[in-house]
Parts: sequence; C-alpha cells; structure tokens
Amino acid sequence: MKIVVPVKEVAVLDEEFDLLEDRPGVDPDAIEWELNEWDDFSVEAALQLREAQGDGEVVVVSVGDEEAEEGLRACLAKGADRALRVWDDSLEGADPLAVARVLAAVVERESPDLVLCGVQSSDAVQGATGVALAAHLGLPRVAVVKALDYDGGSGSATVERELEGGLTEMLRVRLPALLTIQTGINEPRYANLRAIKQAKEKPLEVLGPADVGLDDTALAAAAGSRTRSMAPPETGGGAEMLGGSASDVAGRIADIVKERMAG
Amino acid sequence: MSGVLVVAESRQGALREVSRELIGAALGVKDEADGRVAVAVIGAGGGEHAAVLGAPGVDEVLTVEDAPEHFEAHVHGAALEALIEQEQPSVVLLGHTIDSLGFGPAVAARLELGFASDVTGLDWDGGPVATRGGYGGKVQVELDFPGKETVLLMLRAGAFEAPAENASVPARAVQVSAEPQTEHLGFREVEAGDVDITKAEFLLSVGRGIEDKDALPQFEELAESMGATLSVSRPLVDAGWVSNARQVGQSGKTVKPRVYLALGISGAVQHLAGMQNADTIIAVNTDPEAPIFRVAHYGAVVDLFDVADELAEQFPG
Amino acid sequence: MARDSKYDILFEPIQLGPKTLKNRFYQVPHCIGAGSEKPGFQAYHRGMKAEGGWGALCTEYCSIHPESDDTHRVSARIWDDDDVRNLAVMCDRLHEFDALAGIELWYGGPHAPCMESRHNPRGPSQIPSDFEVNTHPRYMDKDDIEEVQKMYVDAAVRARDAGFDIVYVYGAHSYLPLQFLSPFYNKRTDEYGGSFENRARFWKECLEQVREAVGDDCAIASRFAVDTLYGPSSIEIGEDGVRFVEHVDDLVDLWDLTVGDIAEWGQNAGPSRFFEENHEKPYTGQVKAGDHTNKPVVGVGRITNPDTMVAIISSGQFDIIGAARPSISDPFLPKKIEEGRPEDIRECIGCNQCISRWEIGGPPMICTQNATAGEEYRRGWHPEKFHPAKNADKGVLVVGAGPAGMECAMVLGKRDMSAVHLVEADKEIGGCVNWISQLGHSDGKENLARGTARGLGEWKRIVNYRQIQLDKLKNVEVNLNSRLSTQDVLEYGAEIVIIATGCHFATNGLNPATHDVIEGADATLDWQLTPDEVVKGGKEIGNRVLVLENEGYYMGVSIAQKLAGEGKEVTLVTQMGDVANYMEFTLEAPMLHRDLHRLGVKIHPYTMLEKIEPGTCHAYNVWNPAHKEQFEVDTVVLCTQRVSNDELYHELRADKDALEREGVEAVYMIGDASAPRMIPDAIFDGHRLAREIDSPNPAMPLPFIRERRLWGNVSNDDYESRLLNTSDVTPMAGVAK
Repeated sequence: MKIVVPVKEVAVLDEEFDLLEDRPGVDPDAIEWELNEWDDFSVEAALQLREAQGDGEVVVVSVGDEEAEEGLRACLAKGADRALRVWDDSLEGADPLAVARVLAAVVERESPDLVLCGVQSSDAVQGATGVALAAHLGLPRVAVVKALDYDGGSGSATVERELEGGLTEMLRVRLPALLTIQTGINEPRYANLRAIKQAKEKPLEVLGPADVGLDDTALAAAAGSRTRSMAPPETGGGAEMLGGSASDVAGRIADIVKERMAG
Repeated sequence: MSGVLVVAESRQGALREVSRELIGAALGVKDEADGRVAVAVIGAGGGEHAAVLGAPGVDEVLTVEDAPEHFEAHVHGAALEALIEQEQPSVVLLGHTIDSLGFGPAVAARLELGFASDVTGLDWDGGPVATRGGYGGKVQVELDFPGKETVLLMLRAGAFEAPAENASVPARAVQVSAEPQTEHLGFREVEAGDVDITKAEFLLSVGRGIEDKDALPQFEELAESMGATLSVSRPLVDAGWVSNARQVGQSGKTVKPRVYLALGISGAVQHLAGMQNADTIIAVNTDPEAPIFRVAHYGAVVDLFDVADELAEQFPG
Repeated sequence: MARDSKYDILFEPIQLGPKTLKNRFYQVPHCIGAGSEKPGFQAYHRGMKAEGGWGALCTEYCSIHPESDDTHRVSARIWDDDDVRNLAVMCDRLHEFDALAGIELWYGGPHAPCMESRHNPRGPSQIPSDFEVNTHPRYMDKDDIEEVQKMYVDAAVRARDAGFDIVYVYGAHSYLPLQFLSPFYNKRTDEYGGSFENRARFWKECLEQVREAVGDDCAIASRFAVDTLYGPSSIEIGEDGVRFVEHVDDLVDLWDLTVGDIAEWGQNAGPSRFFEENHEKPYTGQVKAGDHTNKPVVGVGRITNPDTMVAIISSGQFDIIGAARPSISDPFLPKKIEEGRPEDIRECIGCNQCISRWEIGGPPMICTQNATAGEEYRRGWHPEKFHPAKNADKGVLVVGAGPAGMECAMVLGKRDMSAVHLVEADKEIGGCVNWISQLGHSDGKENLARGTARGLGEWKRIVNYRQIQLDKLKNVEVNLNSRLSTQDVLEYGAEIVIIATGCHFATNGLNPATHDVIEGADATLDWQLTPDEVVKGGKEIGNRVLVLENEGYYMGVSIAQKLAGEGKEVTLVTQMGDVANYMEFTLEAPMLHRDLHRLGVKIHPYTMLEKIEPGTCHAYNVWNPAHKEQFEVDTVVLCTQRVSNDELYHELRADKDALEREGVEAVYMIGDASAPRMIPDAIFDGHRLAREIDSPNPAMPLPFIRERRLWGNVSNDDYESRLLNTSDVTPMAGVAK
C-alpha cells in the first residue's frame, strides 16, 4: 500500500516582529520554522496503516525551500520511507491553490492508494490545500477526519468526520482517496536519536516545477489569491466599553456571545 | 460575471445561522458586483428553508433537491460547479465551516477561481478584497484576485451581520445531477471526557475577582448554562481551588476560542499570553485600569457577581 | 526585546538620605550562611544579584560585638578591621554594578547564646529568650546602655569604612532595640522603661548616635516589626507600631518594615503553604496609607510577580519592593523585566528550604528553584551563563522528567549539547511535583493564627519554569507518554544516558527506624495506601485513618491534614519525638501544628507499629516496647520511607557488552532514582551533572572551594585555582583580592 503524506514547514512568528517596507511580508529574522502540528498526526496515521498492512511505503512531500528539509527529515526519522521536496523561488508566498496544483503534479507520479493531509496549517489556517489537491487528483475526499479504520479486504475506509458542536458523522469511502486529518486522531510517535541519525541517509529528492511538468502559466492560473497588504492586527485601540447597569452589560454580553457562537 | 451566489448550509434538517450572515455579506457588495444575489440550497428538502433565506435585496433562492438530504461533499461540489456555470457570479460565498471545507476548495481548484477562506472582512476595489489573518492571526492580511472572473470566498461564522429583515423571494428549482462518492453511515454525539480547554470554542474564565472558593459553583453553573467551558487564571490554581488543567496562561494552556469571557481577571502578562489571540474577548472587571482591557474587544467596569446573576437569567440552564 | 512601559515605575531611582537607589528592587537583609568568614560566598552571592539588576543588596544580620553571637547560626560580624576587610569585598563588588550595599547592625541580647564567643549578652530586663534554649541576658544599667550604644556607633563607623552605603539599626524580629520598645521584653522602671517615650528612648538614641557618626556618608535605615502579632503585650500596628514610626521618622532615611518576632518569624518569611504573595500588606501597608511617615518605605511579602510589584508602588503601599527569597530564586529578576522577558523569571515557590539551612545552623543556603544559590563562589556557577560543553557532539538521553531530569536536560540544553532527548512515561513533565503540589490543604479555614492551609500550588512553579525553558531550547526534545525498557534505552542512539526515574514509597512498611518491613503492611491492598495514592485517588478511604509517619518532613503531616480536612478521624503515629521535624527549620511548623490541633488529629510520638491487621494497628512505645497500644482503623497510610526506582540503571550497567555494542558510552543516575532526597537536592543533582558532563569523571562531583584558614601566606588566586577545576566556571572579575 502506498501512502503519500504532504507536509508543511510552517512559520512561527515572534511576538515582536517588523513588517517589511517594500512589500507585504514580515522580517524573516522574526520567523522560526517547525513542522505543522497536523502533520504529526497524518504521518502517524500513515505509519500505523503501513504497519497494520505489513508492508507498504509512506512518502512525504513538501512544497518548500531548504527550511522544509528539516521537517521532511523529521518525518523520515519517524519512519517515512522517502521524501520529496519541490521548489522554485517563484513559489514564494504561494497560496493553497497554487501549492495544491504543484502537489498534484508530484503526487500523481506516485500513484498512491491514499493521500493524507493535515486539516490545516497553523500559519495560513486556510484548510484548503488538501481538498484542492484531491480535486486536482480526481480522488474522493473527506475533510476533517478524526477516526480512521481501513479494511484492506474491501479496499475502503470507514472514517469519522468531526462536525461543529461535538457531533460526528460516520462515512465510508473507497480507496484511492484523500483524507484531511484532524489533530487528536492518534498518539504521534517520536523518533529516537538513532532514527534521527539514520534518517539522514534516507532518500530526499529535490524537484523543480519543470521536473513535474508545470510551467509558469499553469502556476499562475492555479493561484487563488494575491496578498496586497499586511498590517498588525486590528486592536481597535482598546476595548469597546459596554456602559450601563449590570443588567445592560449582561444583555449586551449575551447578544455578543449568541452572535459569535452562531453557526 | 456579475452578482453574488451564496451557498446556504443546513444540518440534520436545520438551517445554520451562518447562512444568513453570508446573505448579509452578499448584500454588502451587491452593487459593486453589479448583479443579482442568489442563494443556493443544496439537498433534498431544501425548499423548506427558502422562506427564511429571503431578505430585501436577495433576488432568488435556488434549490437543488435532487441530492441526498444530508451533506455529501462531492454532490455539493458538483452542484456548486453546475450553479456557477449557470449563474456566472463574480463572487461565491460559503461559510468557513466543516462542511464547506469539504467542497469549497475543490470547486475553486477545479474551476481555477479566486479563493480565500476564513475571511473576516469583505471590501471592493475593482473586484473583491478579502481580509483574513496571517501567521496564525498575528497579522492581518488583505487579499485580492487579479485576473479572476469569479472569486470563491469562505467567510468566518460570526464575522458578518445577517440582514435585519426577511422578505419573500422567488424560489427556483435547479436540476443538477451529481454522484456521491462517500457513503453516509450515521451521526453520533461525542461524550465529554477530561476537560481540554484548548478545544473549547467558548471559555468562561474567572480570576481572583471571585474572591472565594465557595463562589466557584456559581460560575460552573453559569458556564454550563451559557454553553461554555470553565477556565481560570493562575491565582485560583495556586490557591488550590481548581486543577491546572483549567488554567489559561503561560504556565497553563494557550487557548484560541471563538469567545473568551473573562470575569474578574485583571490580565497579568502571563495570563494574556495564554488568551490574547482569542477571536472575541469580553472582559468584566471593577478596575478600569486592568490590563486585560488592552486586549479585550469588549469591556465593562461593573461588579462581576451582578453581571453573573444577570447572565444566569439570560441563559436559563 | 524592550521593557514593557507598564514596568517603568520599578526602574525609577529614589533618594535614600545621601544615596541614590537606582531602581525599586531591594534585597532586604537575609541569611545565607556566609557571614564575614566566607567573604567569597558573601561577595559572589550578593554580587550575582547586583549583576542581575537589584538596586541594593544587604548583608544578613551583622553582629556588632562578640557579645552578640548567634552560633550555631551563621551571622555576619563587624567586630574588627579584619571583618571590615572581608566585608569590603562585598561592597566593592556591588559598587561595580552601581548597586548600594546595606549592613544590618545587630545586637541579639537574650536571643544570642554566644556559644562561640562565650560572652554574656545584655538585655533591657532579665527575661530569658523565647527562641533560644536557656539563654538569659544580663540586666543593662545606664553604663551598660551607653556601652552597647557605643558598640552600634563603632560598628557603624567600621561599616562606613568598609564601603557600606546603607547602615541599619536593626530592631525587627525582636532584637535589642525592639526589646526595649516592647513591654514583652522591657519591664524596666527607669527612664528606659514604662511609657512609650521611655521604651522608645534606647532605639531613638541609637539612631541619633549612629546618624551623627555616619549619617552624612550613609543612609540610615531601621528594620522595624510594626506588629509583632502578640497583641497588646508587644507591638501592635495600630498602637506603638505607627507611633514609633512617627516618633523617629526624622532620624531614618529608609524604613524597612516587617511583622512578627523571632520566635515565630515564619509570619514574616511566610511559606507559600500558609501565606500568599504580599501577605504583610494589612500591617506594613498601614504606615504609608495612614500618612505616618515622610520617608521611603521598603517592605516584603514574598513578592514575585512584576505586576504585583507595580501595583504595590502605584497604590502607595510601599516605595520600594523588598525581597529576600525572590532574589535568591532569581538573581536576575530585575534584568529579565528590563529586557522584556518576564516569562523567564524563575519564581520563588515559598518552600523556605533556603531558610531551613540557616535554621539548622552551618550549612550554606540552597534554593529549590535556583540550584546555583550558594554555589556562585565555591563552584563558580552563574545562574544565567553556561559554557558550551566540550563533548557537545554526544547525544544524550535523559529518562524521566521529574525535578532532576528536567533540570539536567535544561542545563545540558543551555550548554549547547547537540541533541538532548528528555523522555517521560507520564503524559506531562514534572514527576512527583505534579501530585505533591496538590497537597497542603486542610479544610480551607483559618487556623487560629493569621493564615490558611492554602496548599502547595506554588510548588508547581518548579515545573512551569522548566517547561518554559525547555520549550525555548531547540536542541532539547521532550517526548511524553513513553516508558522506556532497557532495550529501548540501549537502542535509543544516545552516547550518554542519564537515568532520572525517581522513587516510590515503600509498600511493605520498610522504615528507617527498624530497617525492616512491618508485619501485615501491604499497600497493594485496597485499605492501605501510599501518600501518592491518597492524592491521585482510586482507593476508597474509610473514616478512621492511621498515618504512619517515619520520614520527618512534610509528607505524613500533609496527608493527615488533607484527610482531617475532609472530615476523617486521623491518627498520626511517628517513632520520633514529634512530627514534621524538618518543618521547624522551614518555619512551617507552628502554623501546621495549629492546623493539626484544630482539626483534631491525634498525634502519637515515640510510637512504632509492629503489626497491621484489617481494622487494627498494633503499636508499641519506642522507649519501652512492652508498652503496647492498639488503634482501631479503617484505612492505613504508609509514609515510612521512599525507595529508588533504580532497576533500569542497574540492568543497563550490568550488561557492559550490550552498552559497548550499542555505542552507549556512559550511564549516570540522578535525583531520587539514585537516592531519595528533598526536591532541591534532586534538582541540584541534575544541575551538577549537566555542569560537569564534560569533566573527566562526571559521576564524581568536582572539588569546590572551601573557605578556610590556610596556614602561612597563601594568595587567593593560588588557593582558588588549585581547588576549582571545572570548565563551566564564570570567574568573578574585578573583585578586590
């Protein structure tokens, strides 16, 4: 069974940072990189499936510059078999749809039985890349999976989709398919020092978009948005003070709560 | 391309509130989008919701009844693609919800639309301009979509206002044929286990202001009736009144709920570090200089016990 | 990073007489065990805090004459020019950092037994000490009074010559000046006794004379217990407390206010078990609030939180934040606030381990949170500076994230080891602290004195601090929910393995008194428990509980307190003369005893169990084993002794071939796994190993400097360089040799 797990090295911004002057962005010195929290869970899910099947291959893929190699090596250390990194400077700041297009080109070559993505990344928090990737690959998809049970015999997986308000939906989907994995689905393993050392010897292939048949036009068409400005978050200069008696205040609070918690 | 297509959302037969918020947002850019506002309801039995979805300015409700009653990502995706083809909107609005995450990005990818999710602000400058967070919410970003005739946006629930009034609006059935690619097996409720305040969407948080351990049960009950999870600031844990599992702050947990209602918390820097990125922060404290007012979105300088009593009436258990 | 502007007020200078205090961080006088006879320890410890930004640092109580000798306890002394020479080292060091040096001139009277000097102390009346054993003072006539007042003056002049900026006339904790002021000590009928003015006369005259002698050069401070908490028999804030402040206000440049006396000075150095932050406010806060002074006021209350500090000053409670224990726990507290990183502050937990060492008399001070406290000179350790380890390329596995493991991994991380993995079986780090910090409660009511058993929640800061630091260290990985077998450890891939697996309570009654098990003792049964089982829950506890307490510190009594607070009938049995002996040294004993008494806990000292049966415990008197007693109980809690979890270590060490094959070069053991001990010692153990991980034989601690008299002419440099040989030393530059 071959499972492909796209992973992302996410940016963690310092509490204090400077915005760039010449274009929307932040001072790179204020950024630390780490593997997306969701990817710990999707990689673990893949490894557990491979172990349950007795054999198979887990391939991790990232669209990212050299910073992404640390995350890929960490996945290899945990037990992934192979890693792929795709990059070109033109991909700087790529939005989820552009990334999904590039991933699709790479993943297609692998012909996986299953693709596991994280629900979202902790820096962009769009929650879109996985499902967009599924659309490009033409795979059935389920988003926000919190439980996964694969039946090798029938070639289908029973999954639970986590809904708002503590509700869960149970679904069955036939493989090949793409699932976006929610945190808490499993207990991610860690790699010991030996595995970390050995991971340095595992294959990590670096590709450019051209290597997977993508040219600038295709990439441009795929991109979903452009960042036109970046600013510190609106703090609105302090709180909007609610006046009046405790009863008035409670009434306003109740309205705000009901409104915010709706949907 | 012109106009706005809104996709309403329902679950287990009930229309979800975000649907009307999307309509409000659509009406806000109707003129600039230079066209009609149509609201699509996908799923068998959707016609029932048509009445509620109407508002002054909404031109039409489109129902796609030839679909399973409950949500199926591929059916919804195919249906939306067909609707976009038919209606040719400039803007497509979905809620940023679990269901929509299952098909919104797929549609945007296949049709090469403009796309952004978890959008908290919508403007217009020759085309839609969407505001959302960046770097985990530490910055605010404005996106635009040059060269995109149709832009699909997923709007954050609670960020936009629903229209104040209803109106009767013509409904039209649309035929779309779409195949499900997953099999629905059922729903179930999840039992609550050990409290994990980082997963709560709504936290009612209390601090030294409650003064006495004996006051805790009152706030536990209030939290329950408001549908919130109870959390606390450090002094209550230091005093041994509450377990550290409920502590918000640097030495406790970092939380990002939709609503953080802080009663009697002054906002020591270690506490703020644990909750300042919550979506909506409401703080009640008798000290007008309390640091928490610097990060709160709403504040009130009143006695927290008085407010608590009043809130208990607003949310009868 | 920049300082948050809301803390600006803490960095505003303030005038103390002729001296300028550069900020509001003031280390009030406190003991460390250095005195004048360990000048290196004295100068380096105070100096470390000066480097950390404290604006003023004071000595401990400093004896002005051999007649005031507190041996076995260690005080400073300024009896002669050689003492001046030694104390000047401290002053010079502090001045390098623009900090002020303070000296607390002390005459103990009846509280100083003079066991070294063999002088006779004098006192206002011949009333024996309520703190010391069998110590009486000689009654002071007028000549005696003049003579003793001159001792203060001579000492003040020597202090000025040594370089001190702030000179105290020390009356708090009921030392001589307060003994004159307080009717509890002063039964005189002359002009030094009776009315308020008379009783205040001695202290006032001392201040006048000291001021005249050195007041142009030094700030004159007075430490005053504004309420000794004895009621009308002594000093009360509403009576003589504020009256005295007003009476001599013109004579002081700085008021240093406390509460309590020496017999129960735990009311001042309040342990977190009973007292919250800023607990003295109701008393010491009244002085400025009632406009009784025109002079700056410094006060204490285990104030650790920068936001509390700001509130204290902006509300007008004090002008200056006084701290002893918070400065021991983090000498760099002011710097961390200034540098905009208050989250790095290592907060005092109020365990009073530091105080316990002084109370025992002799040992150097220690600190649970700060393993470098007391080691600044003799081991050359700096709390914030760590030198890269020479063997940084070796991977390290630390098994167990309790106090020792967390500390070791943290320090190894700060020493730039290339890869440190801290692996913990539980779902969170912290080890025993996680359950111990849940103890310390009883029934939530005040226990007859000022204070409530509020629990050991602040001890959790041990974990909080290390969690924050470990999160910041990129070269340290923490892996939870993972119990490692011997094979897992061998295959881990670490060249250095450090076992920190802690200990467990004996389940069979094994105890330090008989060195044997107790017949019928078996905590695997559901009606017998070990202390951790009581906290973690899972076994039902009946109404009549017997706690067997053989350890002598807090565990048995804390269990008794908890269960009695829940309404159980608790019997506490110990082979010793009293329970919780060590808590005398941590100053927790008086409040604890009040609480146990109030809760109706029955204490049976000098008693041991010889057999445990369902429903009955058979006991005997240790002085006369034929004297038997039976206790009818439902539940037994065995708090007899702890036993190391050292199997993993021994299994690893037994198979040398396997170690070699797997590339494990060294296996060490730290903390309770090595031998059960107190938490500060476990943390110290982990810290030391990490500091010395690159020494030739890390398992054996390197020598430290003992400040002792060497015969013949030996220079300091020679002395230090021969004895101190570790790579992780931060030598103190510029100290007068």
